Order: sequence, then structure tokens, then C-alpha cells
Amino acid sequence: MIKQDIKGLEERSIYVIREAKTNFKNVAALWSMGKDSTTMLAIARKAFHGKIPFPVIHIDNGIDFPETYQFREELAKKWDLNLIVAKSKIKPEMSGFACCGANKTVALKKVLKEYGFDALIVSIRRDEHGIRAKERVFSPRNKNFKWNYKNQVAELWDDYSSNDDSDGHIRVHPLLDWNEIDIWEYIKKNKVPMNPLYFSRDGLRYRSLGCLHCTTPVKSNAKTIDQIIKELESTKKEEREGRDQDKEKAYVMEKLRSLGYM
Amino acid sequence: MAVENGVKMIVNRVTLLGNKDHGKSTLIGSLLIETRSVSQHRIDDAKKTSEKLGRHFEPGYILDSFEEERLNEMTIDTTRAQVKYKNTGFEFIDVPGHEELMKNMLSGASYADFALLLVSAKPEEGITGQTKRHLFVAKMFGIDRLVVAVNKLDAVDYSRERFEEIKRDIGSYLDKIGFKTANVSFVPVSAYNAENLVKLSDKIKWYKGKSLMDILVNASKSRKIRTDGQLLIQIQGLFEGNDKSIFGKVISGKVKKGDKITLLPLGGSAKVLDLFVSGRKAKAAGRGGVVTLDLDRGVGDDIRGFIAVNDKSACRSGDTIRAILLTTRNISGRPSIKINGMEVGCRKMTIDRYIDVTTGESKKAKRIKPLNAGLVELKLDRNIATDAFERTPEIGRFVFYTNKNFSGIGIITE
Repeated sequence: MIKQDIKGLEERSIYVIREAKTNFKNVAALWSMGKDSTTMLAIARKAFHGKIPFPVIHIDNGIDFPETYQFREELAKKWDLNLIVAKSKIKPEMSGFACCGANKTVALKKVLKEYGFDALIVSIRRDEHGIRAKERVFSPRNKNFKWNYKNQVAELWDDYSSNDDSDGHIRVHPLLDWNEIDIWEYIKKNKVPMNPLYFSRDGLRYRSLGCLHCTTPVKSNAKTIDQIIKELESTKKEEREGRDQDKEKAYVMEKLRSLGYM
Repeated sequence: MAVENGVKMIVNRVTLLGNKDHGKSTLIGSLLIETRSVSQHRIDDAKKTSEKLGRHFEPGYILDSFEEERLNEMTIDTTRAQVKYKNTGFEFIDVPGHEELMKNMLSGASYADFALLLVSAKPEEGITGQTKRHLFVAKMFGIDRLVVAVNKLDAVDYSRERFEEIKRDIGSYLDKIGFKTANVSFVPVSAYNAENLVKLSDKIKWYKGKSLMDILVNASKSRKIRTDGQLLIQIQGLFEGNDKSIFGKVISGKVKKGDKITLLPLGGSAKVLDLFVSGRKAKAAGRGGVVTLDLDRGVGDDIRGFIAVNDKSACRSGDTIRAILLTTRNISGRPSIKINGMEVGCRKMTIDRYIDVTTGESKKAKRIKPLNAGLVELKLDRNIATDAFERTPEIGRFVFYTNKNFSGIGIITE
């Protein structure tokens, strides 16, 4: 895995987050309390000199890990976040595609409608998944949340088109260029508070965090950030291998995302 | 930058160029496998898909992730993949080769530091209008480092004559459009068989040069930047709605606390009382820095797209630009451009010359055929701060719209 220049990445992300704030009337960010969206918030704090000027949304299906809820409370207080908890009801018989599709996406639609957000900052990265690698930095969704991936908007240089006439909202992806290892380098350098689930306990750690039902830990003895970075330098495994939804069948991510999933 | 054993390196962004089906995605897929830059999971996924579709293993499926791309064996949208080779980082930008997908090709290629053109050696494929169009685009983007991979050489018995023929023809087109040919390398390859990609192939003994990856490792990074040290800051907007506090990005030069800056095109001036870089108080900021400037007086709230300078001659201000315009569709309806992050309408557009990008020939004409180029003059609805692309690329290029639809790109000549 390639380690990039995190100073350059941070500058670009700050620029993108400021573009979002400048170009849209009502911006919000999604926060899952995972490493990526927490890093994004750390960068947004720098972009706006310490205080994030938009709400952060947790799509809460009620089955996140206890550590995740505790981390949410602590950091929301410490960073003075304007936190919106959007509850989604999960049905016990559902999992994977149906669950992420129905529960998370439905709750997201509801909260966007209620608050009238026209842009949503989402912390996906190109190196996570082949489908996410195809994304734009500013990516429109229509009013039904559909991603028209077969005819995406033009996006040249660092000019993020706001010429799109879609009736929905824009997804803003400030971390698209980052690699997993860059995130950890950034967390280390900037002492970003982190969810304890990422660190090894009894030979296991979570490399990618979802909810209780669909996330499994990977074998690892990495107990510190340095050890995680070392582990990532040589791994040949996929970051999201502990995530159910990606495994179910081919093109699941494509279908989920085209319907409005992150 | 990228790292092997904790050492960071520059990631060179290499855009693929070339006609559809000449092997761009296959080449990147093979490179990812050969350099062990991709997980077994991704390779297995491509293998499984190939089997399911009853096809030979297609390395291109590592890049082409959409169902529609795999079913139809075509790249619809641009994507990127990183490769580490001999302590150098590369990010390959895959782009679609189809004419109707130029919008996506341009979106990907605009990020590149240099270009890798694929030309299929098969007699029925070879150099096409689209091959040349992509080279024209690379030239417009200011890319002056180019590697040409003559692909599918296995299909023509590794013919040296065919390789030399393509080399000659590409060379003469590059001459015609003014691409400095000293910066071009040619390498015969088979992307599918991974021949001459990393290791030199036994079957192409007549070739005495380096493998594709070794050529790329030695290719120096060549992104054009402003070099005279003049300060230029692209202004994004106001911080917290306060017109005495503005934020933007340093394009060139250095801004220091205490500097007197002038905002072009209008020409208002203010003194920098305080300076923040990436949200932290600082004494100075250089190229790439995202800054907040606290000023001694208000500069008004309509300053997005303005350029802050120390010296008013650092760039141009005005309502008229001359440019090379590449169109992706028939031009009809009201034109507008996006430049410096703002949209500006055009009240008049005059076409001086038409350039047929498939031949490189230009002539006097009143219209530009879609997917070709022209020299144009645009009269804008308002004054803007710009510069010739050649001197300051960041403020010398624009996206072209007609009736709000993406219609092409432009490079300012004066």
C-alpha cells in the first residue's frame, strides 16, 4: 500500500470541504465514528479554525458497538459537534444488502428531507473498493438518491462542477484520494482521537467498522497506531474483508451505491 | 508521495490514452498483477467474472468494476490504481476510449503528470482519429512527457516493421501539433501477456530498450507550474461571512504576514494582518497552501474567483480571452465558462480557426465540428483575472458549457 504525502492530501481535503461550505446553502457531514469520517472531522476543524460550521449526522440503527456510542458521546462533547442522530429501525430478519439498503438509506433520506440538506460530506476513499474508485469529488444524487454512475458529471482539475441541475443533493468526497495507510499516518501525526475497536484485543482488531451484525474482526496483534501502520505496509488483504455486504455477490456495492448508500 | 519501508515518495499520475479496445484497462490490470499492487481478492473477483462470462481471464476487470463495463467489455468511467515499482509510486488513470465518453476521459486525464498512449498493432486497429484526439488533449493539458506503448504485438508476430511504422506515424502527428518529440519514448508490448511491461520479453529480441515500467521510473515528473515566484492566490470565499477574512489557495509565490495584496480583477487592496495555513497561524504560506487571510479592511462579499497578487502585472484582468477550445458536442445555445471556481457567461464568441484534431490541420472557419478544436475569442459578461495557460496553468484553463451543458474545455492563449 502506497503512503502518500499527507500534507498535500490535507491541503486538498481542506480545499474541498471549504468548496462544499462555500457552494452550498445547507451542508452536513456523515459521521460513523469510524477512522475515515473521524479523520475528515479533524480536517474540517482545521478548515474552519477549530469549530465545524455544519451538523454531523450519525445514521444510528441501534446496533453499533457500545464502544462506538461511547466514542460518539466523548468526541461530540470535546469537539463541540452539532450532532444529529438519525435513528433507523432494523429488522432482525434482514442483513447485508437488504439491511444497508433499507435501513441506512431510508434513515438518511428522512434526515435529509427533514433538514433540507443540499450537500452531504461522505468520507469514502478510492482505494476501498473498485466502485468507490469510480467516484467524483462532487457527485450528484437525484431526489430518489440515485447515483447516475453511467453518466457522471464532468470534473476537471480541481473545479468541482456545481452545474448539475439534479433535484437531489450533492455528495462531497474530500477523502477520495487518501489511502487507508494515509489515514493512520494522519491520525498519528495529528493525534486524532480514535475508536478503541481498531486496536487489537485478544489477537483481533476491526480494520473497517460497520454495525454489530455485519462486521467481523480480523486477526491482528496491532495494539498501537505504529503497529497498525506496520501491518498495513505489508498486508495483501482487503480492508473491507470483515464487511459482509461486499461479499454477498458481485456488484452489490454498485447496486447499494446507485440506490443512495455511502 | 508513497512509501516503501517508511520512506515517502512522489506519486506520479499517469493517464492512459488511446482508442477504445486498444488495451488500456488490460494494461493497467496486468501491471497491477505484475507489480503485486493488487490484492488476491481483487484478482480472484476479476477471474470469477471472466469465467462467469465465459471469457479468458481479463485483467481489465480489476479496473472496470461496473457490471455494465464488464458485460460490454468497455470502460465507461475513469478510475485510478496505484502501483509501486522500484521505490517510485505511480497512479495510473484509466479512461474510456469511446468518442461519446470524452467527458469522462477529460475528467480523468486532467489530473495527469504524464501520459501513456496505447496503440494496437493489429492491422485493423492501428492509429485512429481517436488516438490522435487523445494526444491533442494531452498537449492541451500541458503534458509534455509521453510514453507510447505499441500493444498487441503478439497478434502481428512481434513485427518490428509494424512497430516502426506506428512510431513514425505517431511522431509525425506529434510534430504537427507541436508536441516536443524529444520527450517521447516508444515501447513494444503485449498488455495481455504482460510482455515488456515489467520484464523484457524473449519474443521481442530486436527491441533494445527498457521495459515500460523502467521507462516510467526514469521519466521525470513534469507538471507545469508558474516558476517566476510571483504571488497568486485563488480566492474561494469569505470566512464566516466576514469580508475582512478571506480564504483561498496559493498557486504561486509566497504570502507573508504584513503583505499588501491586491485583488484582481477589481483592484482593491488590503494589508494581511494575520495569516493561517491549514487553520493554523503562520508567518508565511507557499504553493499549495490553503490559507485564511485576515485583512485590515473589508474587500466586499463578491470575491470568489478573484486572484490576490502582490504585483498587479502577475496576471491579466479583462473581459476578453483568446483560447484553444476543444468541443465535445455541437455548440448551440448560450456559452459560459467555469474558471477559478466561478461561472461566467459569454456574450459573444468568435471562431477564428478550426482545428481538425485527427490531422492536426487548421483552417479559417466559422464553426467547430464536435470532438474537434478551434481558436476562439470569448467576450465575457464580466471582468475576470486570468493568465496564459503556458505561464499559469491553474488560472489559464476553463470548462466550457453551452446552455449549462458540459461542452468542452479551453486553454487560454492570451
